[in-house]
Amino acid sequence: MPEIAGYTILPLQLPESPTYAKPAKHYLYLRPHEPRIPDADTPRSLFLVNIPIDATELHLRHLFGSQLSGGRVERVDFEAIPTKAKGSLVATTAQGNVTKSKKRKRVTADDLQNQLDDISLPSSWDRELQKSGARAIVVFVDKPSMDASLKAAKKAGGRKSSQSIVWGEGIEDRRPPLGLQRYLNHDKARYPARAELLRTVNDYMTVFTQVSEARKREEARRAQEPDEDGFITVTSGPKLTSAAFEDEARALVKKQKEKSQGLEDFYRFQSREKRKARQNELLRRFDEDKKKLEDLKRRKGKFRVSFCPL
Amino acid sequence: MSSHSSKRRKLSPSPENTQGPTTQNPKPSHNPIALNAKTGNTRRSAELALASGFCKSSFFKLQLDELLSSSRPNYDKQTSKLQDTLHKLKDVIERLPERPPKPALEADKELRSTNGVVIPYPDPRPGKDAKYSVSYAPPTNVNVVGSFALRTGTKTVDPYTVDLAVTMPSSIFQEKDFVNYRYFHKRAYYIACLAAGIRESKSLNVDVKFELQDGDSLRPVIILGLHDQKKSDGRLAKSQIRIITAVEDKLFPLTRTLPMKNNIRQGLDKTGNDEPTPFYNAALRSEATVALYHKFAHSAIKNCDAFRDACILGRTWLRQRGFESSFASGGFGGFEWTVLMSLLFEGGGPNGKPVLLKSYSSYQLFKATMQFISGRNLRDPLLFFANDISFPDDMPALYDGKRGLNILYKMSPWSYDFLRHEASITLKMLNESRDDNFAKVFIFKVNEPFLRFDRVIGLPGLDSGDTLLAFRNQCSVYQVLRKALGDRVELIHISSHCPSPWQVDTKFSRNKAKTVLSIGLLLNSENSMRVVDHGPAAEEKDEATSFRDFWGEKAELRRFKDGSIRESLVWSDLPSSPSIVYQILVYILNRHFNHVEDDIRYIGDEYDEKLRACGDGVLSYSCPAFQRITDAFNSLEKSIQVMDEVPLTVRHLAPASPSLRYSALRVQNGLAALRTPVDVVLQFESSARWPDDLTAIQMTKVAFLVKIGDSFVSQGVAASCKVGLENESSKILNQTFLDIDHKSGIVFRLRIHHDREETLLERQLKEKGASHQAKQEVAHALSAYKRLFIQSTRLTQAIRTLCTRFPLLSPTIRLVKYWFRCHLFTGHISEELIELIATHSFTQPFPWESPSSVMAGFLRTLHLLSHWDWQQEPLTVDLAGGLDQNAIEVIRTRFSAWRNIDPAMNTVALFAASDIDLDGITWTQYEMPPKVVAARMSTLAKAAMKLLREKGQTLDISELFQTSLAPYNFVITLRQKVLDNRSASSTKFKNLNIDVERGAAPTIVKSFVHDLQACFYPNILFFHGDETCNVVAGLWNPQTMKTKSWSLKTAYSTFPAVLEDPEADDKVSANRDAIMNEISRLGADLIETIQVM
Repeated sequence: MPEIAGYTILPLQLPESPTYAKPAKHYLYLRPHEPRIPDADTPRSLFLVNIPIDATELHLRHLFGSQLSGGRVERVDFEAIPTKAKGSLVATTAQGNVTKSKKRKRVTADDLQNQLDDISLPSSWDRELQKSGARAIVVFVDKPSMDASLKAAKKAGGRKSSQSIVWGEGIEDRRPPLGLQRYLNHDKARYPARAELLRTVNDYMTVFTQVSEARKREEARRAQEPDEDGFITVTSGPKLTSAAFEDEARALVKKQKEKSQGLEDFYRFQSREKRKARQNELLRRFDEDKKKLEDLKRRKGKFRVSFCPL
Repeated sequence: MSSHSSKRRKLSPSPENTQGPTTQNPKPSHNPIALNAKTGNTRRSAELALASGFCKSSFFKLQLDELLSSSRPNYDKQTSKLQDTLHKLKDVIERLPERPPKPALEADKELRSTNGVVIPYPDPRPGKDAKYSVSYAPPTNVNVVGSFALRTGTKTVDPYTVDLAVTMPSSIFQEKDFVNYRYFHKRAYYIACLAAGIRESKSLNVDVKFELQDGDSLRPVIILGLHDQKKSDGRLAKSQIRIITAVEDKLFPLTRTLPMKNNIRQGLDKTGNDEPTPFYNAALRSEATVALYHKFAHSAIKNCDAFRDACILGRTWLRQRGFESSFASGGFGGFEWTVLMSLLFEGGGPNGKPVLLKSYSSYQLFKATMQFISGRNLRDPLLFFANDISFPDDMPALYDGKRGLNILYKMSPWSYDFLRHEASITLKMLNESRDDNFAKVFIFKVNEPFLRFDRVIGLPGLDSGDTLLAFRNQCSVYQVLRKALGDRVELIHISSHCPSPWQVDTKFSRNKAKTVLSIGLLLNSENSMRVVDHGPAAEEKDEATSFRDFWGEKAELRRFKDGSIRESLVWSDLPSSPSIVYQILVYILNRHFNHVEDDIRYIGDEYDEKLRACGDGVLSYSCPAFQRITDAFNSLEKSIQVMDEVPLTVRHLAPASPSLRYSALRVQNGLAALRTPVDVVLQFESSARWPDDLTAIQMTKVAFLVKIGDSFVSQGVAASCKVGLENESSKILNQTFLDIDHKSGIVFRLRIHHDREETLLERQLKEKGASHQAKQEVAHALSAYKRLFIQSTRLTQAIRTLCTRFPLLSPTIRLVKYWFRCHLFTGHISEELIELIATHSFTQPFPWESPSSVMAGFLRTLHLLSHWDWQQEPLTVDLAGGLDQNAIEVIRTRFSAWRNIDPAMNTVALFAASDIDLDGITWTQYEMPPKVVAARMSTLAKAAMKLLREKGQTLDISELFQTSLAPYNFVITLRQKVLDNRSASSTKFKNLNIDVERGAAPTIVKSFVHDLQACFYPNILFFHGDETCNVVAGLWNPQTMKTKSWSLKTAYSTFPAVLEDPEADDKVSANRDAIMNEISRLGADLIETIQVM
């Protein structure tokens, strides 16, 4: 029964592919879930590493429920491995657990904010993909199911290859297909029905208004409340965020600069200093040029006219 | 106190008083460090003054010094090496026995039998009836002359040539020898005797050959290849000795060799007896001036310190542009440059004032000479020390009266035009303040026919064995072409090859001397496509007759719209017919020179053809296909202005798509198959009614888009409108667009630009306390915002304008895009970046002019790619004429900042800025392309340039567009049928499912590769072409291939080594087969095969 760094290795036979004939096995690594901060679900969860890219909740339910005859799965949480994000590329598969910048966290507005975050435009993909090597947490209905599954997996790992489990066998028709159809469906789903769009927008805007009103109310109330020392902070006008304040400061500096324009040559010392600065600047440039040339020489080996072109 | 000190300062401007701190401090500074720093400063100042005083910029000067010191041959070493040989040689020559006079043919026979040397008599060879005899007498003088003696030469890849002048005694010549080649025949005998003597001498170990001096068949000379003493393998040393002949200055009277004199009187044409023979005369005269010019140049060197350096610069400059002394390559080489500069010390300016002064620096000498060449038209002859000398028409002349020679006598009208052309480009480069252009002036090889010319033509079988004849032939070809092509071409350049050296015991082989004549054309992009040529009016009888004579049956009399009846020519402009320039060439070369079409090798049109084949048959930006899109856009703009269902007023609708800036490779031509949506950006007047939250703004946009769509459909502007989604996973990126199926059949994709987004994003970026990842996401959104709404509209505007200014820009961009597409760069290099690169060769074309053909534009763009050192240099493109020194400064600063932040080039590899986008990373940030792909781009461009140089005229251009799949790890072949079906179905059953297929074409390949990349980044890089290309290639990240310890961070499918080797602990390696299987599962029915290389 092979193990790696405390994880059980579960080999999965991959279905034969007409386009890539070489048979292949996929290796799933699993162990009981042990997060840093355990919650109620932790004891009945398994932590899976290296799930196949086309894994879905159904796949894993099927794997543990039917193929391993372990236990029933309540739900599956996929999590992507945070890699240095390549902007747009990871965009389609990100799991929606992107850290949102919740600017203002208010206790009462929070519910509404959560509600707001849940409203989003309809997805255009009929099936999510996982990043290669991704992880998932499988939550079983109870702890015995989890234990049974782990045991079954350990047993399956030691079995001969003839009895090995084939990934996704038997549920081929129960998931939206990959390949051409996936992209055709996507192309259709990219253009949601007008009514659906409008409904989403209306829902969103309604909640959004509620959130901002709730916020305003809270703020007004807080303005009335005395703090620990019994003082009431008096504010007038809209409160500027730090960024907006910076903008204002910048504008002020600019204005000051404009004011002093035309007065640079007023005193003799000013023009003298300017001359000196210019001279120093020239010297600095000269030194830079020299450095540049050295650089050039170093890069091209020898500085020479190439009669065959560069 | 202050007034006092200021007065004192005024009176005595001593250096310490101008220094601020010393006046402030009354105590004399004894601090050695301060003193040191000060003197160091002044020394640097002096150095700076020296560097910048006489030069363009200090950096230019530094590079110039470097160039000079590295291209100056080591004369001392050379001299010590050669001295011995030269002495021996002189000795041998001086001891050769006299040979008594004998008839020319007899002498030939004798020399052949006794010494085995064939006398290199120039044609026509002396006849049997020749009444004169040839003889040999020891020379009056043997001397080293020319660039070696003067030390004005440069290092070259060819062996360095040392000229040894042998002055023939006057006694062997007769008074009348200047006529009818007699001098040259006697000279040939003399040369042959020398060759025989040197060959037989025991003391010299040299390789004796004949060569033509400056490619002039009248003047064969001896070339001595030296064997390197140290290396015994018989290899020749790096230098060779050339023995040239000279005669006494006064041997023939100066008046006999004036340009308009005739000295060839034999032959049949007794009527044209006095036709001038300027070339012959000058060749004869130049024999008498060898010593004179040597002395003249020597005195110039004595006179001016920088003269030698200026000679090196001149030689380098000429060589890079293919100019040499020989007639075949321009007739203007290092010698002519030296003499020209020497003469310019004595005159040439207005009122005969000198152009050059002896106090000039080498750079000033160079530049002033350039100015002279480009500014003074020497077709109007310039005489030094002489007056009243006439010259043949249309030939440049710079006559040196003291020495009696037109130093430009070897120049043809076309080479002179080209010399001036190059000089004026160089002046422009030197005068440009933005860039120092040093490399382009001196380092670049300018003389590459396919980059330099718009069309290249090869004509076969022209004899260059007889220079006089070749000169005449080439002139007539030139005149016919000039007349036939008229204002379709700017310049015509003709060049041929010099015959190579031959063994002294063989006859000069005329067959070998038959070379291909290569003709280069610089087209005029406005006129070259003109279909009808207007000739003279029918009433002008004489002109009409000569027009008919010239054009033959092609000339026809036609009446034009304005009522005039004119002789005219009509060329075919059907898409199937070859280009008009080609039609003209074939016709006129056949008519006047009997060249059949197969003889003529014509290069340049293939590039147009290629573009036609890959770009929907569209070549010019002004074609109807582009026009239709522009018209549709204008109509859409109007409809949007009058639309009143939307509560905000429209500020403007801006184009933001390659199709609207004439740079899309595929142009919609009505087929639903090619309905790539045309991006446009709509901006409303600012309003306070927008919500102040990024996500809410996106939602508001949806509402607006739905409304705009409804309005369009109800007004009949569009057949249908659909709101589409993008960037689903992010709530702050632009999420929606409106696809408008415009009534014209064009699909527009409209996005709403709201400038508040930028402010909100910037604020979030500055906010403290946000997590690193969140900030990265905001930064990404901000860059996407700028790209989508600001830069792409700006770029569209700029490229649109440039396309109308440079008619060839649009086709060039499109062909370059095709090249990138063929090499599977589609997903990695943005179209906009390609446009910037291609535009660079038009707005900053130096060292050439802006290209006037697809070939020149395309190849120069590849050339740029091949030598763009993108790791060290930003690409700076002038798009709107606003790229000045300050802009460059800003760009360079940002570039080095990026290289500092990201030295491994993980997000920004290429950096391409322009005057409308100083950031430089708009189109290249976030690995567009990754470093590996950028390197591959450079490699491919270099390979293309290499191929071009190796194959030259025989290159089949489809080779440039074939990509090799060998460097990839695996190749996924998609089912062509599936792709074709998707794009063709609607055309097949047009009446059936046109409604179903309306709207933008699906992008299956793109989505598929996107999925792959999302799943396997950064372990595999995928390369693909456009929607019709069925190949997706993959490249493993070398890091991924290594065996590593198992870790939670391993972001790819792995294979535990412990299964095979129980000792392997927790090592894992990439499970490649499983990944391949995953890819095949993902692609399913899209994939035909997966092939692992």
